[in-house]
Amino acid sequence: MSFEFYKPANIDEASKLLKNSGYVAIVGGTDTIVKIKANFYKALKALVDLNGLFSKEIKVEGDKCIIGSACVMNYIAEHPVIKENFPVLAQAALSVAAVQIRNTATIGGNVGNSSPVGDTIPALYSLEAEVNIVSDEGKRVVPINEFITGVGRNVLKPGEMIESFAIPMRKTKGSFQKLGERKALSISKINLGLSYWNDGKPHYRIALGAVAITVLRVPKAEELLENSPLPLTDEVIQQAATYAVETAKPITDIRSTKEYRKQMAGVLLKRALNAIRE
Amino acid sequence: MNSEVNEIEIQFNLNGQDLKTKVLPGMTVLEMIRRNFKLTATKEGCGKGECGACSILFNGLPINSCLKLAATLTPTDKIVTVEGLANDELMQRIQKAYVDEGAVQCGFCIPGMTISTYSLLKKNPKPTMDEIKFALAGNICRCTGYRKIEAAVAKAAERGEK
Repeated sequence: MSFEFYKPANIDEASKLLKNSGYVAIVGGTDTIVKIKANFYKALKALVDLNGLFSKEIKVEGDKCIIGSACVMNYIAEHPVIKENFPVLAQAALSVAAVQIRNTATIGGNVGNSSPVGDTIPALYSLEAEVNIVSDEGKRVVPINEFITGVGRNVLKPGEMIESFAIPMRKTKGSFQKLGERKALSISKINLGLSYWNDGKPHYRIALGAVAITVLRVPKAEELLENSPLPLTDEVIQQAATYAVETAKPITDIRSTKEYRKQMAGVLLKRALNAIRE
Repeated sequence: MNSEVNEIEIQFNLNGQDLKTKVLPGMTVLEMIRRNFKLTATKEGCGKGECGACSILFNGLPINSCLKLAATLTPTDKIVTVEGLANDELMQRIQKAYVDEGAVQCGFCIPGMTISTYSLLKKNPKPTMDEIKFALAGNICRCTGYRKIEAAVAKAAERGEK
């Protein structure tokens, strides 16, 4: 295990370094170090330490809530703006691993890692978050649902980094659900983020994780729910759950089976909808 | 060790002392505190963030020292290990409660358990049993079955009220 270590002084320097092949970014390190130890990076030449370059804070700017990419999970889970307005994200962040990892693991890392099971990803989908990307060549904004392109793949080009996430500022209700071998430290077999808000008409956003190469929304269920009077009846919730099962396209792997995951997509949606019922 | 690999000089605060040391790029904080500073209370269990035996306080919060690279430390970073809390009233109360409840068997997980307990009781001096379980969910013990550990945390909290 021999590689170089760089601590760039600014984003420009970091971006130039990350254009070299075999150069890997590190912030919290809770995924990266496990991967290094498991010899995942076959041609690792250097680590580029991004600690200190990106914000660890959450701020409301105009009609957006801006979450710095270096925010750690516990900070997000305990932040009053997030708890009050985006409960799905607070719950997702609090469901990651255990307290020690939540004090180190960043939201930028969780999304940048682009695993189909990353717990904050369905939450961000349901909140219609945008990813603010930066490099030495400038900035660009990509909606979260266009950011991840495959298992461990995303639209970041060499030299690009996640600067922050922007969530439209509005008060939402929400629920994050996941199933794993145990409550703590389990990688999800399947997870689900649900957000609901009402701006004169009801909006539902449902995002399923670990049921395809990337997160899937369930538009048929969203449409059904948006056109159903409140309070939702058990029949409507059951029909929405059926749409979630139909939408899920999971595989069988070490953590679970295709059949179980598909059925559980419906169960998790029912649990989430019941959790936000008044 | 390959002498061509560049060692990196880092500065940080360890158990209250500002220090400088040299580390290799891949060295974890766990390896550094055990090898460079001979502080061996902190243990390596799984080496991948699942067991909590390597728990330390990083800027006041518990983290897995096996998943943090020493090279990422900066002069404002503060690391506290169990050794650094030897004279701390709360840590001593926790340690006594663990002994009194028979919560220590082989002992390998205990430095990490007590760090997590310390962090919990600092923030929440009167935790419920659910809060105790949640706070210790990142620490694995293969001997005790957890009941005695949970009782020890509750006892430490109870004794703090007097």
